Amino acid sequence: MPGDEPFKQEVLRLAGPEVLTCIQCGTCSASCPTANLMNPSIRRLIKLCLEGKKEEALHNETLWLCTSCLLCTVRCPRGIRPKAVVSALKDIAERTGLQGKDAAYEKFFLEQIKDYGRIAELALTAKFLLVFPQGVVQSMQMGLELLPRGKIGLEIEKIKGRDEVKRIIEELWKE
Amino acid sequence: MKLAYYPGCVSQSTGKEMDASTRAVSAALGIELVELPDWNCCGATHVSHELVATGLAARNMAQTDLPIMTSCSICYSNLRAAALRLEEPDTREKVNAVLDKKYSGAKIRHALDVILEALTENDERIVVPLKELRVAPYYGCLLTRPAGLYSPEFPTILEKLIKRLQAEPVDFRLKTVCCGGPIFMPQEKAAEDIALKILSEAKKAGAEVIVTVCPLCHLMLDAKQKVLEQKHGEKIGIPVLYVTQLAGIALGLGPEELGLFMNSVSPMAMVERVYVRLSE
Repeated sequence: MPGDEPFKQEVLRLAGPEVLTCIQCGTCSASCPTANLMNPSIRRLIKLCLEGKKEEALHNETLWLCTSCLLCTVRCPRGIRPKAVVSALKDIAERTGLQGKDAAYEKFFLEQIKDYGRIAELALTAKFLLVFPQGVVQSMQMGLELLPRGKIGLEIEKIKGRDEVKRIIEELWKE
Repeated sequence: MKLAYYPGCVSQSTGKEMDASTRAVSAALGIELVELPDWNCCGATHVSHELVATGLAARNMAQTDLPIMTSCSICYSNLRAAALRLEEPDTREKVNAVLDKKYSGAKIRHALDVILEALTENDERIVVPLKELRVAPYYGCLLTRPAGLYSPEFPTILEKLIKRLQAEPVDFRLKTVCCGGPIFMPQEKAAEDIALKILSEAKKAGAEVIVTVCPLCHLMLDAKQKVLEQKHGEKIGIPVLYVTQLAGIALGLGPEELGLFMNSVSPMAMVERVYVRLSE
């Protein structure tokens, strides 16, 4: 089956044309702190993009296991930014309305910046737990740790430049 | 010296002690901090669209002409990466088209670098030298990546500061390995496994304290330490301090000012040891 060329081009546009120069050496996978949990590996993910295999590239746990540590990016011998490929795929996935707990977390994060200009962890967590109730135990444990130390912000601080922030997100998103 | 200060979102919640100690140490070193007016979130590691992330950072950077200091490595990395992208005319034009105040360049500094620069060798303001204190320098990812001032894999600036405070950096193999923090909400197990490895390694290296430069690393190693101990049946009990807290102790600042009571694993026994060794 021929690859999805527009998908490949979109990845290259977002992550950089140097992705084409990938030699599949696997340095990225060998550097990744969550490589043992990834399937496909980050090396294979890049191959899927170059082959235009859109479905396989977008629907996997690999995208959401990336911690953005950038070790792949500083080590790639071809100057490719594998983390930027992951970001590009997340971005494409979010645009196509991909559902799931991880996509939801990113969506809520950006929505909160759009609405308030800043992140209030309590409100973000509360919203996330509605779509991922399994996270409630870990959130409670964290809450019990942070609350007595006064480290949970109970009020949401809104910045004055919210309209500008909203415009930044909405206008630049289209690019 | 006068600097613009970007506290970042965690300064209002999980990183309150980072914010408190940053302000206290800056004051003690005669560094005047002017909080960036009406600052917004940098997007942390959760805004996938690069141009949007660049725009969010640019709005912050456009608020001042002063160099901008932050204690958060995530904010630091995001602002620095955005400043690099904004050198490209096409990107700058697109971003400036949506900004109220236009971006025209910025200098971004991490508090670690500012403190080290402010302290001379045998600085007389170090009234509590951290004699014999064995410190694990934990860089995590984003102070040094993307590559910039420091080696992304073998940085030494934290060791330099630890030595300047007259403490002893331990040889810490995992110092630039990710803490797992950015995925800890949706991918709990993966994140916890990595954090536990880092804590165990610090303990094995004989550290009495771990020093961090990032609020997410701090959360994973400090606030989560008890849960990690329970889950894995391994006693760790190692305090984790922000670099600003460690420097503040050496500068003779009090626990209240440095937010030491906000840490999950109490550093007070360690602080006591520092004072005992001083009197020996």
